[in-house]
Amino acid sequence: MNNISALYPEVFLSLGIMSVLMIGVFIKNSYNLVNKLCLSILFITIAIIFNSLDNSEKVFLGSFSKDKFSDFIKILILVSSIFVLSTTQNFINNIKISKFEYPILILLSILGMFFMVSANDLILFYLGLELQSLALYILASINRSDLRSTESGIKYFVLSALSSGLLLYGCSLLYGFTGSTNYEIIQTQLSDNNIGALFATVFIIVGLAFKVSAVPFHMWTPDVYEGSPTSVTNFFAVVPKIAGIAVIIRFMDVPFKMILSEWQLIVIFLSIASMILGAVAAIGQTNIKRLLAYSSIGHIGYILAGISTGEINGYSSSIIYLTIYVIMNLGAFSCLYFMRVNSSYTETIDDLSGLSRNNPFLAFAFLIIFFSLAGIPPLGGFFAKFYVFIAVIESELYFLAIVGLITTVISAFYYLKIIKLIYFDDNKREFDQVKDLNSSTVMIISCIFLATLFLYPSIFNNIIISIFNI
Amino acid sequence: MITHAIFFYFFSIIAIFSALMVITSRSTINSVFFLILDFISVGCLFIMIGAEFLGMILLIVYVGAVAVLFLFVVMMLNVSDQKQSWFMGKKSTHIPAGLLFSVLIFLELLVVVGGWKYKDNLMSSSTLNLNSEYSNTHEIGNVMYTEYFLYFQISGIILLLSMIGAILLTYSKRENLKRQSYIDQISREKLTAVELKEVPFEKGVKVDD
Repeated sequence: MNNISALYPEVFLSLGIMSVLMIGVFIKNSYNLVNKLCLSILFITIAIIFNSLDNSEKVFLGSFSKDKFSDFIKILILVSSIFVLSTTQNFINNIKISKFEYPILILLSILGMFFMVSANDLILFYLGLELQSLALYILASINRSDLRSTESGIKYFVLSALSSGLLLYGCSLLYGFTGSTNYEIIQTQLSDNNIGALFATVFIIVGLAFKVSAVPFHMWTPDVYEGSPTSVTNFFAVVPKIAGIAVIIRFMDVPFKMILSEWQLIVIFLSIASMILGAVAAIGQTNIKRLLAYSSIGHIGYILAGISTGEINGYSSSIIYLTIYVIMNLGAFSCLYFMRVNSSYTETIDDLSGLSRNNPFLAFAFLIIFFSLAGIPPLGGFFAKFYVFIAVIESELYFLAIVGLITTVISAFYYLKIIKLIYFDDNKREFDQVKDLNSSTVMIISCIFLATLFLYPSIFNNIIISIFNI
Repeated sequence: MITHAIFFYFFSIIAIFSALMVITSRSTINSVFFLILDFISVGCLFIMIGAEFLGMILLIVYVGAVAVLFLFVVMMLNVSDQKQSWFMGKKSTHIPAGLLFSVLIFLELLVVVGGWKYKDNLMSSSTLNLNSEYSNTHEIGNVMYTEYFLYFQISGIILLLSMIGAILLTYSKRENLKRQSYIDQISREKLTAVELKEVPFEKGVKVDD
């Protein structure tokens, strides 16, 4: 008999979505109300997860696995979504896309991510992935009247459907050659002799790399980031990445555990290519959302470097990197909500020039966050890179570490270029005085966290290492 | 065994041929018809290996709903670059071909349903390990709501999401539109609707004053 209590967070989340959907349909202009209700649903879901933190079990024929790893990732997803949802409220109202479906779609994609990270079975994994990406396609094109938003939605949909096809092809091959969709049985059946199944793993890795936008499957990222409304980009840059990385780690740790030597080279290649492209391609960008897109590609490269070690140390360093990456990006995007000129949002980097003169507070936030993204020592981003490189060097992947260090230096160039623009260039434009309590709170939290992490840099380590006792 | 092989090759050749025709045929409408033929042939192949539920679902869902929907879309969009639509053209060269394929589909259905209904082992290649006490449909029904309940529910949520998305991305509320209200129309009484007025001679009355 299945013990449904392992599914309480998901059950509550889906019931919440249905009821909030009804409220949204029957009350007119209910975006603000629905947004608040969705936030409270997320808070209650966190409480439910905390309530049953210690038990881990597998239900529904071992297809759904509730364990410490999935609990941690779910809490990370929920907390970052709470930040995203609360900061975006003003932005959504200002650009007049205040449809009540917006927070509901975000909740639905979170539900999909929950199933993705808890999946212990290819079918459940794929269903979760579909639920998540379908919501993301709609979110990307939510601003119907804007041509760029529609274009980015279509582009994301077509490319993502293609990659889902590849992924599904890999899944069916894997099922054919191993005889099961269950991760644990696949683990026992996969070996270096099972050529067909190895062939299938390549397709699965390609599909997953597309979802986290690792090079060479990154082409959609800059366009989608630029075209979607900033609030949606904020969500894209943070939350699906958490789920994607968690799924990759689970795939590498459970079904593909025995064939490390086969996938290690692929992941190393993805990692090196992402780091190099993220560092080089961002230099010429003039749009700050495009720049953040390339920066996120680079960061995914560092996370994949940790994963490519194939050891628990490497995985946990990736999760630490991911956590700090999430905090940095939440801060960076909440800064973007303050870039308003004549009550419309601007995205060009040149508009930031001379910001320190008339808005020293925002300029300082940009300083901390961009220094941290570049990995300058006392800030949080440095420790993220530090743990990943330690794990990489410990497993003797020296070439990967060297490339990582070089690309860190290259990418520091464009982050520093923006800092220079903000602090040393002439003032060109004056931003409106925006009062946005939520965004400033998130910005301050992020800055304080990044600036004070050096006091106790191993704050996450014990928790994150303990979640890997799957 | 030979009958089985003959039928297998019969269906698979038609399936492969029509799949090729879907992508090579010039007219979009012909492509859709070949797609239908392909679905039917593959459905027959499924029935041959003993998965009659899957075969029938393929017929009902893909042929009955998806392909017909495609057909409607293609006909409505007028995407084909051909000068005349195939069923209204001057040259009726399409009719023999159409008849041929209809007969082919009819034959396929006749053979496969007949073989499946009246002679159990005519074509079955029995690759599936089935419990003969239950039918396929029965087996699926047994696990659908118990062991695979979670998948079933998530699929439902995905469908709900696609519905929300379709409405969100296409529905636009038009303001200032005067709509008929049946309730108002029906509930009108003679007293409120008709007003009797005394009309003064050579002066008339102003209506809606």
